[in-house]
Formats: sequence, structure tokens, C-alpha cells
Amino acid sequence: MEEDFMPRIIGFLCKWCTYAGADLAGVSRIQYPPSILPIRVMCSSRVDPLFVISSFLRGADAVLVAGCHPGDCHYQRGNYYTRRRYAVLRKIFEELGLEADRLRLSWISASEGRRFADVITDYTERIKKKGPNPVKKEVFL
Amino acid sequence: MEEKIGVYVCECGPNIAEKVDIERVLAAVSSIEGVAVAERYKLLCSEEGKKFLKENIEKHGLTHLVVAACSPKQHELTFMNVCEEAGLNPYLFQLANIREQCAWIIEDKDEATEKAIRYVRAAISRVRYHIPLEKKEIEANPDVLVIGAGVAGIEASLLLASRARKVYLVERESSIGGKVKGFAQLFPRMESASALLEPKIKQVVENKNIELMTESEVEQLLGFFGNFVVTVRKKGGEERELNVGAVVVATGLQEFDVSGLPQYGYGKVDNVYTAGEFERMNSPDGPTQGKVLLKDGRAPRSVAIIHCVGRQEKGYCSRVCCLYSLKLAQYLKSKIPEVQVCQFYSDLCLPGKPYQRFYEETKGKGVDFIRAEKVEISEGEGGVAVNYSSESGRLEVRNFDMVILATAMEPAHGSAKLAEILNIGRGVEGFFIEEHEKLGPVSTSLEGIYIAGCAQGPKGISESIVQAEAAAGKILASLVPGRKLEPEVKVSEISEAFCIGCKTCISVCAYNAITFDELRRISVVNEVLCRGCGNCAAACPSGAARHRHFTFRQIYHELMETLR
Repeated sequence: MEEDFMPRIIGFLCKWCTYAGADLAGVSRIQYPPSILPIRVMCSSRVDPLFVISSFLRGADAVLVAGCHPGDCHYQRGNYYTRRRYAVLRKIFEELGLEADRLRLSWISASEGRRFADVITDYTERIKKKGPNPVKKEVFL
Repeated sequence: MEEKIGVYVCECGPNIAEKVDIERVLAAVSSIEGVAVAERYKLLCSEEGKKFLKENIEKHGLTHLVVAACSPKQHELTFMNVCEEAGLNPYLFQLANIREQCAWIIEDKDEATEKAIRYVRAAISRVRYHIPLEKKEIEANPDVLVIGAGVAGIEASLLLASRARKVYLVERESSIGGKVKGFAQLFPRMESASALLEPKIKQVVENKNIELMTESEVEQLLGFFGNFVVTVRKKGGEERELNVGAVVVATGLQEFDVSGLPQYGYGKVDNVYTAGEFERMNSPDGPTQGKVLLKDGRAPRSVAIIHCVGRQEKGYCSRVCCLYSLKLAQYLKSKIPEVQVCQFYSDLCLPGKPYQRFYEETKGKGVDFIRAEKVEISEGEGGVAVNYSSESGRLEVRNFDMVILATAMEPAHGSAKLAEILNIGRGVEGFFIEEHEKLGPVSTSLEGIYIAGCAQGPKGISESIVQAEAAAGKILASLVPGRKLEPEVKVSEISEAFCIGCKTCISVCAYNAITFDELRRISVVNEVLCRGCGNCAAACPSGAARHRHFTFRQIYHELMETLR
């Protein structure tokens, strides 16, 4: 494994909780790996599974979908739909022999700046160990 | 028209300038197709900065604007306003967050610069696909319907009834005042309930802007925030249609029916009363003119008050029972000074400023407190036997002349039906559910419908008043007479051409904002009800549901460029 491999992790972050939590990590000057590439959405339930698949085809090494804690959704129950879609997507990944552990769902609130940084750090370490996304090679080579 | 994208990178004083090589960012993006100008500025959110931006938009005739600066939370609105002033549709703008999520979280300047370039490129890629959105304005009716004339409903009505606004206060009983009307005194200061309530009732009756409709119930509600049409029926048949902009639901609660719990002997053992019944017995208007008497007409020498009756069955603490149990003990002690009062509790719930003192004061009057579990009431020798398991786990029995059950509170009867009529949700406990436990405590899932008082959950008078004031405040701030409403524009729409009529969107919408047009066999979004979460757009299998400003195309191109 290359020592300096820095994974590219697409993060679909809901505006009300996780994106605000990521802002708080910044305001608190908590340092974490530059791996995360945020895409801001109004609610995690806006994340079309196609966006996740497109991310991998385009070469993302991992995808994080993150929103408000269960019961705290700004839109009442959007994150419950996210959770179901995530479960289905993971299943599809497993069935197709893709690495489902390059997919992660996390609940991070607007007050959890530290947790946001911890999730990104931990996820980055795991993906570093796994190495680059192999799908990219197969599709593009 | 030729695309002219302007890219402006904010130095944010040293915040961005010291962490990101702005020259490298500008060099990386200035040659991207469509980018007409790429420049830096020391502080774009300052007055000079905004002027600089406005002049640049006009000077270069920009068709799209990208600003790389702080989080959208900070200044998205600021820059959207600048666009508007410069004659550029504010939705043809994208903010790249290179401060909170870039400059401030990365030590290495090269890494931060690389990341900033990625963010700005993605923003440019996204903004190309932005579509101008127009603000809409709809007429709004400032009048309000208040359902339930207890303390919460009365308080909300009085606050709302300002000159240019009418309040319809609907009450199903023949008199107003709610539960409090039946109380002689109030905890913790033991002041007279009528002294507090009567002036309020008088104000309601005398207020020309409040139309009181007693013995009436809401039968139907149509429309949306600002434009509801409500049907109210008076007992006996007369039906009226009211036009209002908002609704306050203040229907209160009732005592849980304890006859379903045989262990408490209620209805079988003499001299066992619920707290509500005892309150009536104690009331000067009650059947005994306020005298506390046993069935045989004697005054009780000993009374047990059992706490938490129904708590386990209901699954929640009713919050006021410990406090009213203390009040009942004080009633007893003041009427029959030599009476022995014993409180059987499992946990004492005494939150807030005055209540610990109230407890100590009551205890000081010679009231006993026994921590007990598994309480059972049975016929005893010359009285009522309280069988219980003590703190040490021993089974004990004590005899009393009278037993009062501090029963749990449940939603007022008819709450389920009303929830259906109003199209608002109820929690597992059956009370109307707030939009957000912390951030939206008096709002509901339907904009323009608010909840106050015990309709939302058991609580005391002061908290009910707080909620009534909050609900009234929400309405006064959003429905101003003569002012139009500006609904959210980043909402969903459904393409008539692509919709296959599967109704998936309808099933995922939390706001009932989508209905099915049977004639055209397609789903239709009510843009006033839609809050713009985008769930329907993700769920739609045919791509007909489109989330404005978060369309598939916009997010897809942002994503593709992010990963280039």
C-alpha cells in the first residue's frame, strides 16, 4: 500500500445537522484529514442511491451519508428513509461483490463537531488500509 | 446568452489567506470554460466587499456568481442579497465553503489549497446548471382559530386578539376555563384558582376581537398556512365555515380511567377516589359544598395518597401528579388539622424553582412520605387497606379511612379524531406531537398549526401559559395583517410528462404536500405545503419529482467535478 494514499471520500451531508456539525469542527479548529469532500443536501433523504453509485464509478474511494440523529430529522422522518435506502444499497453492494464497507451512514448533529472530525478520521484510516477503489480501475481501464 | 461566471475568493482577513494559496486557486479556475473573471478580495461580507461584488456583477455582466468564502450558514443570504441588488437572480449563485470545511481544518497549506480548488471547481460546475427561481407571494388571512378554551387557549386568544385580527375560540363544553376551573387552589402558592382565572375569562368575553363559540367542535380543516377553511359545528346542528390563517390546538388532557387497573380497588372499595374526584369534593361548588367527607358522612381521620397510578401502563410520568398530591395534602391539613396524611410514592418529581420548597413546606405540616412499590388497595378492617412493598422489599399493610389515587393524565377524549381532521401527528403517548422536541416545541408537522398546553403533554399552568405565548408569538410574527406570505421556493415539482402515477412520492412526503390528480393520473405538489426536503426526488423511480435548486443535474455535476 502506498504510504501517502489519501482516499477521496464523498460526504453527503444534510444541511441542518451534519453539515453544521462539520462547520462546528472548523470553528473549533479541530484538524482532520482532507479526505472528505462534502456535498450539501437539504436532508439526507435527498440522497438518491444513484448519487452514491455515480460517486464510485467516478473514482471515489468511499462514500459517507450523514444526517440528523434518528428522531431529530428537520423534516420529521427523512433520515428513516435514508436508513432504509442505505440498508438496501449495502445489500446490493454485497450481492454484486462490491465492497460494502466503503459505504457508511452516520448520524452527526450540529453540536457534534468533535464527532464529525472523529468519524472522518476513523473512516479515512479504514479506507487507507483498504486502498483505492478497485471499481474505478475496472470501469475506466 | 453567453455564460459569464464570476469567481470571487474571499481572504476573510488572515482566516483564508494564510491557509490557502489564493493565487493558485485563481490560476486553477480562471481558464475554466465560462469563467469570465476570477479575483480575490480581502473581506467580501464587509460593506465595501458587497459593493465590490455588486459593481463586478454589473461591470462584467455576470450570468452566474461563485463566491469562495465561509459556510453558507454565515453568508449565503448576504451574497444572495447582493445578487438581487445587482439584478442577478440570487439562485444563480453558489458559495464554496473554503473556510470552516477547508482552511480551518487543515494545517498543511498545499493540502488546503488542493481542497479549496476542488470545492471551487465543483461550485462552478454546479452553478452552470442553476435555474433562476422567483419568489412567490400569497395572500394570507391573519385571523386565528383556537381550539379549546382552557388556560392555554384563553391565553393564546387574548394575546392574538389584536386590532386587525380576529380570533375564533372554539370550546366543546358549555363554559370556558378548562380543567383549572374545577380547582379550588393552585400549587405551589395555594392561591385561589378563580382569582387567577375569572379575570381572564371576563377579558375573553368582553374582547370584541374574540368570537367565543361554546358547545362547538371542529369538523373539517382544508387549505394551508395563511388560508385555512374550517368547518365548526355547534351542538344541535348549526354549521359554520371560518376562514383563518393559523390554528392553535389547546385541547388539554383528562384523567386516565383507573377502573381498568383492578389492583387499586377503584369502584369496588368504598372511599377510594381519584384525584379529580377529590378535587371536586373539596370544591365549594362541589356535591358536599367543599366538605371532605367519607361515605358515611364522617370526616376522615387518615388519608393515603397513592402516586404514579397508571404511570407504568401509560409509559410516561405525568409531571404534575406529585405536585398536585402535595396540594391535596395541604387541602386536607387545612380543613381537618388533625388528619393523618400519608403519601405513597415511587419517585418524587419536583422540577423547577418553587417545588422543592413546596414539598418541604408540605412535609413540615406533618405529612408522611413512604416510598412504596406494588401498591394494592383492598377492603380493610374498618377502612381501606393499602398493601405495598416497602423500600426494604418487605410486604406491609396499613389502614386508612380514605385513599386518593393520583392518576396519570392522558390526552383529552377526541384527540385522535381531531388529529385526523387537522392532519397533524400524535406521539406514541397519544398527545399531539411537536415538530421538533427541542427546536420546534409548539409547531406541528403542518405549518400554521400550533399546539399549546396539555394537548402537547401533561404540564402545569405556568408551562401551559408559556406554550400559549410561544404559539401566539409564532403566529403574530408570521401572519401580519396586510402582509403577504413568501413560501419556500426550493421546493419539489413533479413533471407531468414523466410521472407514472405510482404515488411513491405521496407515501414518503411528511407534509402531505403531494396529492394525486385522479383525472390526469399523476402526482401534484402543493408548493405551499412542501418544505423542500427532497425525499420525493430521491424516491421517484421515473425522475419526475424534481427538487428545485437540488436537482439531479445540479448535484450530479457538483459531484462529478468534485471527483475529477
